[in-house]
Amino acid sequence: MVRFILFRLMRATLTVVLVVSFAFCILRLAGDPSQVVLGPNAPPDAVAAFRQAWGLQRPLYLQYLLYWNGILHGNFGNSMLDGRPVLAVVLSHIPATLEIMGPALLLSIAIGIPGGAFAALRRDTATDRAVMALSVAGFTVPSFVLGLGLVLVFAVLLHWLPAGGREGWSSAILPVMTLGFGGAAVLARFTRSAMAEVMGQPYIRAASAKGLPWRTVVQWHALPNALIPTVTVIGFMVGAMLAGAVVVESVFSWPGLGRLLVVAVGSRDVAVVQCILFLVAVTMVTANLVVDLLYGWLDPRILADARR
Amino acid sequence: MSGIALPRVIRRREAIGLAVGAALLWLALMLVVAVFADLLRPYSITAIDLGHRLAPPLSFGGTLTHPLGTDELGRDVLSRLIISIRVSLLLAFGATLLGLLMGTSLGLLAAHLGGLVEQAVLMLVDFQAALPFMILALAVLAFFGDSLPILVGLMSFYGWERHARVARGLALAAGAQNYVAAIRGLGAGAWRIYLRHVLPNIAATLVVSATLAFPEVILLESGLSFLGLGVQPPMSSLGNMVGYGRNYIETAPWILLAPSIVIVFTTLAISIVGDMLRDRLDPTTSRA
Amino acid sequence: MSLLELSGVVRRFRVRRGPLRAPLIVEAVAGVSFTVERGRTLAIIGESGCGKSTTGRMALGMEAPDAGEVRFEGAPMPPPGSAAWRRMRTRMQMVFQDPLGALDKRLPIGRQIGEPLDIHRIGTPTERRDRVAALLDAVRLRPDQAHHYPHELSGGQRQRAVLARALASDPVLLVCDEPVSALDVSTQAQVVNLLIDLQAERYLALVFISHDLKLVRQIGERVLVMYLGRVVEEGTPEAVLHAPAHPYTRALVSAIPEPGERRVPRAVIGGEIPDPSARPSGCPFHPRCPIAVPLCRVELPPLKPLSASQSVACHLAHGDAAPPRVRAAA
Repeated sequence: MVRFILFRLMRATLTVVLVVSFAFCILRLAGDPSQVVLGPNAPPDAVAAFRQAWGLQRPLYLQYLLYWNGILHGNFGNSMLDGRPVLAVVLSHIPATLEIMGPALLLSIAIGIPGGAFAALRRDTATDRAVMALSVAGFTVPSFVLGLGLVLVFAVLLHWLPAGGREGWSSAILPVMTLGFGGAAVLARFTRSAMAEVMGQPYIRAASAKGLPWRTVVQWHALPNALIPTVTVIGFMVGAMLAGAVVVESVFSWPGLGRLLVVAVGSRDVAVVQCILFLVAVTMVTANLVVDLLYGWLDPRILADARR
Repeated sequence: MSGIALPRVIRRREAIGLAVGAALLWLALMLVVAVFADLLRPYSITAIDLGHRLAPPLSFGGTLTHPLGTDELGRDVLSRLIISIRVSLLLAFGATLLGLLMGTSLGLLAAHLGGLVEQAVLMLVDFQAALPFMILALAVLAFFGDSLPILVGLMSFYGWERHARVARGLALAAGAQNYVAAIRGLGAGAWRIYLRHVLPNIAATLVVSATLAFPEVILLESGLSFLGLGVQPPMSSLGNMVGYGRNYIETAPWILLAPSIVIVFTTLAISIVGDMLRDRLDPTTSRA
Repeated sequence: MSLLELSGVVRRFRVRRGPLRAPLIVEAVAGVSFTVERGRTLAIIGESGCGKSTTGRMALGMEAPDAGEVRFEGAPMPPPGSAAWRRMRTRMQMVFQDPLGALDKRLPIGRQIGEPLDIHRIGTPTERRDRVAALLDAVRLRPDQAHHYPHELSGGQRQRAVLARALASDPVLLVCDEPVSALDVSTQAQVVNLLIDLQAERYLALVFISHDLKLVRQIGERVLVMYLGRVVEEGTPEAVLHAPAHPYTRALVSAIPEPGERRVPRAVIGGEIPDPSARPSGCPFHPRCPIAVPLCRVELPPLKPLSASQSVACHLAHGDAAPPRVRAAA
């Protein structure tokens, strides 16, 4: 068990190191960082100051070490736009993103899992096909189209909800719905197939043959077993939602991490971009690690394999 | 009993056939539009007609001169839509093909050489799968700028890890088969074995993998263009049309509706066709 | 100079037992020697796991021996996979047990039969086509079957296609590893007869590996009996099958269903083949041998000639040890 955790932890750390090194490399690959950030027409003394600040005149391996040193001390440099320390800027945008991502995740789970399970129990009926059609819509309709569609209907035509911005809880409804719908679609599809597979297993028939009421069989035998692989999908969904948040926050002018990233990319504020990249990598890796461990704990077979 | 069941089965199969037929029809239409874009569009995409700004489309009181309306600069929406279809489809097709080539080559290399090479490839696959691609893409765009070659190159990295995983798995399975050992026993070299025997046998699954990635690439490109970080003006893509139209959502929603509908229908059509291909060509893979 | 010569070849496999324990070393082949000439047939028989397939692969150089030597036409066998080895494939080929698995299911058999010619660039395209037609005829397949896919042919036809492919480059040595085990009995006879004819026509050296003694009677000129990676008996089919000297051979032979009078009394051996990673000491057969004596547990019997037509590796067969005191018959 301990070996299992240690091994996963090691892999997670390696991934984060790789991501950071990747960011380091491509920035250098793109050319002189000072050119990238300041543009080709920058005055030479601004360039010189930049190079000094970033230590670009030092040898490459030293730059790499200094880079890591900075990261471990929480120093990601200063933002191009307002000169504030990047980490502070980035951290200040996190609550806004969490405000829509958290509810969106919950919404996805609340709709997707029961929807998928329901569809599996009523396979090949109209309900099943309706749920599947909706979930297909979830993959094929891009989040910005969905978001704008919702804005069109609820804000422009019906005037029920605000079209954007972050003021009061009503302004969060549309963003959460947009983010959550995609996740619900993925979860519904996955839960349906997991559930369908579980329902086909002999032990389900055995449980029902024992005389247990159908509801009990589903609730206590089928659903928990179907949920175990579904846990792994949730890990993937965190990543998908982070990516989705980028677009959704832009659609709704929601001042979170996603919008910060887009603005930073547009203005070539590489310090901010690097910091966000690092944070996302850490979050994803942690989420996957948690999911892995959870899965290992929930499914006794995984741990047995690891112990051998 | 069977008399009742049979009609339902037939009806379902017909319904599926209808969906696939409609999907193929739509895709054919898109292909024609993409290929003959320059012949089909009534106006140039940059032709400004300030006298007819924000004109509504046909069904909402518009005229035949601009059947889908005009945007804030009087540019014809239909023409821009036609060109956008070509740009988006070309980009997505090119990127998917490149990704397929890259992923397959790396997967086969990993399977054939094993050892350190395989470990390196697997590590790259893990790395790519660890981060949501949109975020990686944005980071690369921040560093490298958003010229067209960079965009295509970036998008071709989408999904390569899936193709690599599939290719490696299938190559390993094929390599363990007796006929590969027999061909090797005949004295064939590695190139011949892979090109003539392994690849044709795994091509079907790889094609299916690519058709599943294609709509996602379209969505990726339109997402990036929507954010203003993908295809840049004066070139017009489906995504950036939606992006510009967004500012006029209250006054002239048709600007963003037309490209949005095209995006949704096209990705839907490809997904349907891809699912059908998967069922036909590779009944062994489970429908997730 | 023999066509093919194996001298004391040994093949070991390492089985990993986890990162902390030393790997297990399994000796699949523990010292086998034989020679084969053109136009002659050598049959190797034994149970599954006795190392006969591995020996066959080493004979063709598909695996390199860990000790001992393999020589073909006097020259040492090149390392497997090397360019020289690949060129030698035109001179020697293997026929496998599973004909469906040995063929690419997507290509018509005509293409596959001609593949060695493509690989080694033998002849012009017209010549290759003619060659394929001739091969089809030689293995008694119809010319129109060249366009058929493997799954469209019967098991026997498939194996004949595999044979045709093996003969395409005109080899001098053919190693057949259980070539008919996957076929039904009547088809087996057909294919074996075909093999015999082809060998005579083309003056091939043939190594025939099987666990089926009935076939060996038909096709072997010399028979090698293997047990646990060693040769325990060697000789002509008459000697080995009618007067087996080794207790193991005796048991195998007596198990052949025989209509009418039994020529060899039924000998039953108990137990199972031991794990090759845990070899018994001395003679590998002694735990199961009905006539084992204390010497058998201690000393490995060498393979020594018993007569001009037979060699055996058994202390008792050579009279090197006294038979056990209790015996069924004198």
